[in-house]
Formats: sequence, structure tokens, C-alpha cells
Amino acid sequence: MRKELLYEISRSVIAAVGVQNVLWAIVESITKGTKAKGCALLVLSQDGEKLYHRVSYGISPEYIGKGVIEVDDMIRCVLAGESVLVEDMANDPRIQYPEAAKHEGFGSVLSVPMRSYTGVKGVMRVYAGSQRTFSKDEIDFLDSIAELSGLVLEKEEERDRMALEANRAREEVSRMSDERERFLYFIRMVAHDLKAPLAAVESYLKIILKGSTGPTTEKQEVWLNRSVKRIDGMLELISDIVDLSKLEAGLDSPELTPVSWTEVLNSSVEVARGLTEPRGIELENDIEQNLPEIFGSEVRLCQLINNLVSNSARYTSTGGKIAIRAHQVEDNVEVLVEDEGRGIRPEIIPEIFNDFFKGDPESLEGTGLGLSICKRIVEMHNGKIWAESPAPGKDIGTLVTMVIPKGVVCSHIWGKPE
Amino acid sequence: MPKILVMDDDPDIIDALDTLLGGEGYEVITAHDGEEGLVKIREENPDMIILDMLMPRLDGYGVYKALHDPQWSEWKDIPIVILTSVSEDVSHRRYELETGVRMEVAAYIEKPIDPDVILEGVRSILEA
Repeated sequence: MRKELLYEISRSVIAAVGVQNVLWAIVESITKGTKAKGCALLVLSQDGEKLYHRVSYGISPEYIGKGVIEVDDMIRCVLAGESVLVEDMANDPRIQYPEAAKHEGFGSVLSVPMRSYTGVKGVMRVYAGSQRTFSKDEIDFLDSIAELSGLVLEKEEERDRMALEANRAREEVSRMSDERERFLYFIRMVAHDLKAPLAAVESYLKIILKGSTGPTTEKQEVWLNRSVKRIDGMLELISDIVDLSKLEAGLDSPELTPVSWTEVLNSSVEVARGLTEPRGIELENDIEQNLPEIFGSEVRLCQLINNLVSNSARYTSTGGKIAIRAHQVEDNVEVLVEDEGRGIRPEIIPEIFNDFFKGDPESLEGTGLGLSICKRIVEMHNGKIWAESPAPGKDIGTLVTMVIPKGVVCSHIWGKPE
Repeated sequence: MPKILVMDDDPDIIDALDTLLGGEGYEVITAHDGEEGLVKIREENPDMIILDMLMPRLDGYGVYKALHDPQWSEWKDIPIVILTSVSEDVSHRRYELETGVRMEVAAYIEKPIDPDVILEGVRSILEA
């Protein structure tokens, strides 16, 4: 009970005035309150073999600097929990510096243990100018104050330890984030260097197919076409990996500007038409003009819509329809991309936004990164994206909905997705 | 027959374009970096330039800037096709946004080279 109470008192006093001020107040009040000549708090070294001066009142710098106090039998008794009085410091063999004590004008000294939760922190010493004794009440009282001092010292150690640990944690976090950035940069560089040779090889293949180097057999033509397709797939994967690592590293500030939703959607519709027309897919658009602006990345928002439309186009057959709709709903812009494709099996819907997820793992088409890139872009703009299949009110197709707050400040630094 | 200067640091891209355009009867001259390219422009006075962006010594943007300097005014109107692998969909706008580079050029064409796209692009620019 006493320890808990003292601990609570020490906690609130330290918080109010700081450790050093509390210790000063203790040694000063004890000296004055007991009409002593001085009071010192001596702290036990880590190896437990010496006592060091921590704070004192009424004691000269010469006496403080007299030398290190070794832990001897008497001090061991104090550290074991006993208060020990030496009545005649100048002539008692238990005193390590009798001459200095005499010179300082000390008669008696009372040594009291500074107990704490984790053991004894050191010794409180009360020095009297004459040879005197202390009553049991006085010793009990000094014992409590010594214990309070011990708890204050412990609190300080704990605070230092926590500061050190916090510092270490900060350093670790910063080291890890540097490493992560270096790694993402490395991925971007590797991906970039992989693209150039693939592009050269595919260029050759296409020119051979064009017939510029002479005729090819039917079989050669089939295989060359298949090679082109495989390289296209690889290039798509590389480009998705580059995008992903760019998004993971966070957007560059120059990329972030006020962006007109209407312009983003109108230009996305143009790109989409290039995908749907050759495949005989109808493209319906219902885009509210004068949609509000957003502060974000125009490149990424265009990429978001284009990714969704190209996904839809991949699964919608000739004669089918893809619709892009966009409206302001309260403080959000709601963008919907709906197709008449074969839809998504309900059991895999929760997984489709995960990295490298493919509905059909054996398919050679698609990288499994398109939708996860979309999700990152939407979340960077503080929005939400989800898919429903079959599209509401229909028995086929998929509806992807994005809701992005208007005028929002894009989250510049991007952490890991949930 | 029109003369086309191909500037690219990738010898395979140069070879491929040389074969493709040469096969269509164009006269093809080549340069492996921007500095060599500027020398060829002065010497050969090409009818159009196919320009890679990432090149050693002087990159594609450097070449573009040089040609818009008054001392190059004689050659400033040669049509330029940018041949790049910066982005997947060859959108002029995306290229500008991603690189921060804005250039008035005749066309942007994406690597890998699609023969039909290149030939159609070259034809329409030279006929214009």
C-alpha cells in the first residue's frame, strides 16, 4: 500500500516538475526538516560495487569529490534493507573517508536504503553537524522518503529506457523504409531493362511476319504469332509491376494536380472506343458534364478507368455492351463500369482485387495485377471500389462501382493495402 | 525516295526499322545517339526523323530542343516521330504527364514496333 501510494505520488510529481527538481526538493527538505547539516542521494553502480553521488544539499564540492565509495560490509547491510547510524564519523573504522568528514564538520551519519520495485537503487545519507542519534519515528519517516527517492530514480531509468527504445524503433523504421524504397527502385530498374530486349525481339518477329525478310511457312507464322502474344503478355506484366512499384513508393508531388473528372472520363471513353470498336462491342456512356474537380493524379485516374474498361472488353463478346457512367452523388463522384461479360463467380468476388489473383489461373491472358492496381489508385484518392456480379437487375455481366470524394487531397504517401 | 533518319541506341531496333523501311523503298540513315543524330541531320538533310527518347550522350528531348534553337532553324520543320517504350498505351497525354515533357511532334509510336503502325504513320506524315 505504502509503495503503491509513493509510486503514484512520485509519478505525478515527476510529471509536474521533473526528476531532478524532485530529488533536489527531497534532499533540501530533509536537511532542513531534520535540522541536519546535509543530505545526499548515492546511487548504486550497475555492477553493484560502488556508490555514486547523484544529488545533495548542504555538502561542499570538495566533500562530494573526495572519491568513489566502495560497497563495504556496512553499505551491504544498508542495501539489504537496514538503516545504519554512525555516531562519530571521524573516528569510526566503518567510514571510508574519516578525514574528509572531519574537515566538512560532520559528526554523525544515518544511511537509509533507497528501495524501489526492482530492488535497492542506492543509499540516502543524512549528515548531522554534531554527534547525535535519530528517533525511531525520524528513521521511519526518512525510510519513506528514501523509498520515494528510490521510486523516482526507478521512474527516471524507465523513462530513459523507453526513450532509448523509442529511438531505436524510429531508427529501425527509417532504415526499413529506406530499404523498401531502394528495393522498389531496383524493381523499377529491372523491369525497365527487361522491356528493351523484349521490345527488340518482338519488333523483329512482327517484321518477319509482315514478310519484309521473305516468305514464312504457315507453321512458322502460327508460332511467330504465338511468340508475339507471349511477349505481349510479358510486357504487360512488366508494365504492371512498374506501375505497382510506383504506386507502392507513393506518387511524386508534381504528378498531383487539380484534375477535372469530366476530362479524365471523356479521354478514357476515347481510349475505350479504341478497344471496343474493333471487337464489335457497343460502348454506352452517360457521363455527367461539369463533374467536380479532384486533387490527384490524372495519369493514374485515366489508368484506373482504362484498366476497368479493358477488363470488361476482354470478357464481353461481340455484340455485347459496356457502359461507363459517372455522376455526382452528394460529396462524391460515383463512376460505374458495367459489362455484359460472363461475370464473376460469387465465391471469388472478395479476392479479385488481390495482387496476382486470376479467376482462371491457367489463362495466359492478364497478369492478375490490373484490379489490384485499380484498388490502390482508388484508395490513394480516399475512395472505395467494389464489384457486383451478375450486374444488378441482370443475369449476366459485372458492375464495378467507384466512389471517390470530390476535391479530396490524394494520400501522397502510400502504405500497404489492408 | 524520301530519306528517313532513325535515331536509337538499340542496334536491334535500328536493324529492324532499316529492314522494314528499306523494304518499302525508303532511304534509311541511322544514328546511335543524339549527337551523332544531329551530325547526320546536317549532312543528310532527312525528310523525317524517328527518334528514341532514352539515349546516351544526348537524349531525344535534347535533340528536340537543339532543333528548336535558332541556329538549327533550317531543320526545325523536319517532322519527328517519337519512338518510345515509356507507357503501354501510346497516349500522347500520358507520355507528357509521366515524363513532364511536352513536345510538338508529328506522332508518338510505341515499342515494340508494329510494322503496320509505323508504315502508316510514316506514309501519312510524308504525304502531308
